Amino acid sequence: MLGNLGSGLDPHVERRVTWLSLLVIVAFSIFGLRLFQLQVIQGEALRLRSERNRIRTVRLEAPRGQILDREGRPIATTRAAFSLQAIPAEVRQPDVTWPVLAELVGGEAGALRERVEKPRGRRRFQPVDLVGDLSRDALARVESHRYALPGVTTDVRPRRLYVDGEFAPHLLGTLGQVRESQLKTRAFADYRAGEVVGQSGIESLLEAHLRGRAGGRNVVVDVAGREVEVLEEVEPEPGGSVVLSLDWDLQEIARQAYRRESGGVDRAGAVVALDPRNGDVLVLLSSPGYDPNDFVGGIDTATWRSLNDNPRRPLHDRVLSGQYPPGSTYKPIVAAAALEEGIANAETRVFCPGHWKLGRRTYRCWKRAGHGWVDMQKALVESCDVFFYEIGRKLGIDRIAYFARGFGLGRKPGIGLPQEKAGLVPTTAWKLARRGEPWIGGETISAAIGQGYNLVTPLQLAVATATLANGGTQIRPRIVLRRTDRDGRILEVTHPEVRGTAPVALEHLERVRDGMIGVVSSPRGTGHAVAVKGLEVAAKTGTAQVVGLQHTEDLDEEEIAEHHRDHAWFIAYAPAKAPEIVVTVLVEHGGHGGSAAGPVAGKLIQAWWDKKQAALAPAESPTLEDGSPEPVVTADAVVEGEGDRAAN
Amino acid sequence: MLRIDRRSAQNFDWLLLGLTVVLVGMGLANLWSATHSGPGGMAPEVRRQLTALAIGTMALVAAVAVDYRHLQRLAMPAYVATLVLLLLTLVLAPVIRGSQGWLVFGPVRIQPSELARVGAVLVLARWFARNPPSQIRQLRELWKPAALLVAPVTLIVLQRDMGVALLTLLVGTTFVVFVRIPARAWAGVAALGVAAFAGLWSFGLRDYQRGRILDFVDPGRDPLSSGYQAIQSTIAVGSGGLFGKGYLEGTQTQLRFLPTQHTDFVFSVLAEEWGLIGSFVVLGLFIALLLWGLVIARNSKDNFGAFLAVGCVALLFWPAAINVAMVLGLAPVIGVPLPLFSYGGSALLANLATIGLLLNVSMRRYMF
Repeated sequence: MLGNLGSGLDPHVERRVTWLSLLVIVAFSIFGLRLFQLQVIQGEALRLRSERNRIRTVRLEAPRGQILDREGRPIATTRAAFSLQAIPAEVRQPDVTWPVLAELVGGEAGALRERVEKPRGRRRFQPVDLVGDLSRDALARVESHRYALPGVTTDVRPRRLYVDGEFAPHLLGTLGQVRESQLKTRAFADYRAGEVVGQSGIESLLEAHLRGRAGGRNVVVDVAGREVEVLEEVEPEPGGSVVLSLDWDLQEIARQAYRRESGGVDRAGAVVALDPRNGDVLVLLSSPGYDPNDFVGGIDTATWRSLNDNPRRPLHDRVLSGQYPPGSTYKPIVAAAALEEGIANAETRVFCPGHWKLGRRTYRCWKRAGHGWVDMQKALVESCDVFFYEIGRKLGIDRIAYFARGFGLGRKPGIGLPQEKAGLVPTTAWKLARRGEPWIGGETISAAIGQGYNLVTPLQLAVATATLANGGTQIRPRIVLRRTDRDGRILEVTHPEVRGTAPVALEHLERVRDGMIGVVSSPRGTGHAVAVKGLEVAAKTGTAQVVGLQHTEDLDEEEIAEHHRDHAWFIAYAPAKAPEIVVTVLVEHGGHGGSAAGPVAGKLIQAWWDKKQAALAPAESPTLEDGSPEPVVTADAVVEGEGDRAAN
Repeated sequence: MLRIDRRSAQNFDWLLLGLTVVLVGMGLANLWSATHSGPGGMAPEVRRQLTALAIGTMALVAAVAVDYRHLQRLAMPAYVATLVLLLLTLVLAPVIRGSQGWLVFGPVRIQPSELARVGAVLVLARWFARNPPSQIRQLRELWKPAALLVAPVTLIVLQRDMGVALLTLLVGTTFVVFVRIPARAWAGVAALGVAAFAGLWSFGLRDYQRGRILDFVDPGRDPLSSGYQAIQSTIAVGSGGLFGKGYLEGTQTQLRFLPTQHTDFVFSVLAEEWGLIGSFVVLGLFIALLLWGLVIARNSKDNFGAFLAVGCVALLFWPAAINVAMVLGLAPVIGVPLPLFSYGGSALLANLATIGLLLNVSMRRYMF
């Protein structure tokens, strides 16, 4: 019944099957010849090579690129670290090796042994890392006992070093071993398990640039595992450098201001200093900080726990992701809005009896006795709340929000780091959508003095202040000035970027800026304390309420538990007429802005001013002192130099 | 007809079975050495390979039991099933070591591309049995088998397994040896092939794949990475000399210079430890197996049997040839396992089923 499927084999098919047999025979004959060539003709040579071939491939880590401040001072660099490894298959006397090693480098013999022997299988000839960063003493002890420790090797690797640990950890970010989940993604396709990568901050943002390229070395090793001969070597390529806009000196001043002398935890807060002309971030500090050096080789549990459980939350980046009510630092924006909308002008006056009524509710001015008759200048200088209640009510929340957005609030400042927050600019539509409730008139009153739903981050407030200072241009904060290769050749320059314009006429901005100058220059101004000799500074203080006023208004500041005290804000810029630096300071639970945050801003502006003066001073006759044997100096140059000195 | 009647049993091909048993035994012993690490126990790879051997033996028995002429009717469903598995792999499988070749069902991991080759051989044998190739004189008459072959190859390419895709293409293309198409038509195909390769080189290949081809042309190009494998493999084979270094004594093997010595480079382990003599024995056994398979094809009493047997020989010949050529530094490093020797359950299962089909055709050569 199956016969009809075929009846005998086609002779053509039979012939062609013979061809296939020939193909098989020819192919395998070639293999036979090749085997003969390799195993007999070259056999002796290759056998020698295989005997010598106790080759180990050693990976040469690439030094990570440097992170420099704006003047080229290294913030993050690399140093040589000694590491200790063991090759499982070559540890021939485990009962001797592990106790001796534990004695030499510290640690427990059982733990060391387990670490090396646990991953069984085909990794037995690959070195297993035991200690990532061996001290010089421990290294010397291991080296001197080397012959007693077959299978144990040491190695030098570049390791990230943050020159001044707590310099700007939240910005720089941390390094850590590449995560299992990351290895599965395309971005990490050419990474290997255990490799160190930037896990946050600049380290992560510019990972591809900083990483460099690992090299490798094939080395012949002897019985003791020592390298006898290097066969091939592919040099690692160090990563490229990054020049940040930060100014080391100013950042350091800001840090000092938050430091507690008696070894306690630093005060909590944030500082930003921007150049309002181009967005350069000169200072970016979140305090308290931590030391990212602790993370480089994997952070130990105790350190991690102490950081994570610290009530002041050192890991939290206050400057980019801390969101606070702006308090009275919001008033310049509300004032600008009122001027632009024609709700107020220079002559508008409001009587402040110390409180203000809307319907049945009473809103207080911070000054219980009242400010009397207040115009806009006085309202800004003395931070009168009643004046802003009045113009805030007339503006309405949605118009306030429109102007706030014009100054860059309610959106991420665009520095490029993932932890950046957008703050909150409340509107009627927002409340309806988010809370399902209509906006209440009284909420506008709180919002007009920067309380209520308003939220800003310190960096956002700095951008808003810069917008005010530079005449209405909303600029993107620039943290990376340029990327260079390892030899300093520029690869990419970050150009300043305008992100928007505040919809306020220049004359109206001038009016607000006059008020902010008064905050410092007027003896009654809330920011009088930050006056810098020879420099006109404009500023505004602010207080962000932490708990409702009703609980604390009757108490003196000293009597309020610290964590119930309000946050202190201070925004400032200088020189007032042609601003070159904007400073925003937040002191958490600092109480009033003027007294707690003001001095920090004052010190920063003073330091900036001193530095600028020093840079402007003539260099000390370099033509005469540079040691050149034949000073070629014209009479004109000498006279010019003397003239300069006389002028100072 | 599902039983093995007395006449078939009398004609059972003990030679083929014997060759298979010897090769499988050598393969296991060699795998033991390739995965051996210090004293103590069986490597997990060997244990898994033994499990696969048990399942493969059942597959072999099944492939023998059903009269191959009934397989004509099963060819299409089997082919479609393997395509579905390939598709599933593409959709479900996680990316393992750069290609998506595995399908995971709890503890069972199968590599459908290994099974897909067998499916392709079944449908192609059926097609050529119904469309006698001695009458095929024009290329366009081959569009149907070409389409049958391109489907699984495309799916395997999409899994980024270029080696296995190429292998599947070669196995299927073996059948064109039977058609009568004039040489100048093939010249056209060759020109097209060169153009396709140029296109693939420029746009289709990933950097590492280009690198492997360049490494083959010049192994010293990048001695630390893939060229390294070719160099170490050559050293391993050559250092084996005439008599080899002895079982479990190969220094290249035991020091693990080759990361994939239990899969793609398993033949280097054999050549190092058993030398020219051992290599010749194994290659001789392979030649015997393959030529005997072709004898079975010639003795087959119908075209389907002949084509099925030829397909089975192709299924064993091409991976063996490519793999050995690669180990001996005669071909670029592409991930193709050596039948019956390399670690890999799906491949062992497919190889044993293939041999089962050969046994099937062989023992029913007189059934009329």
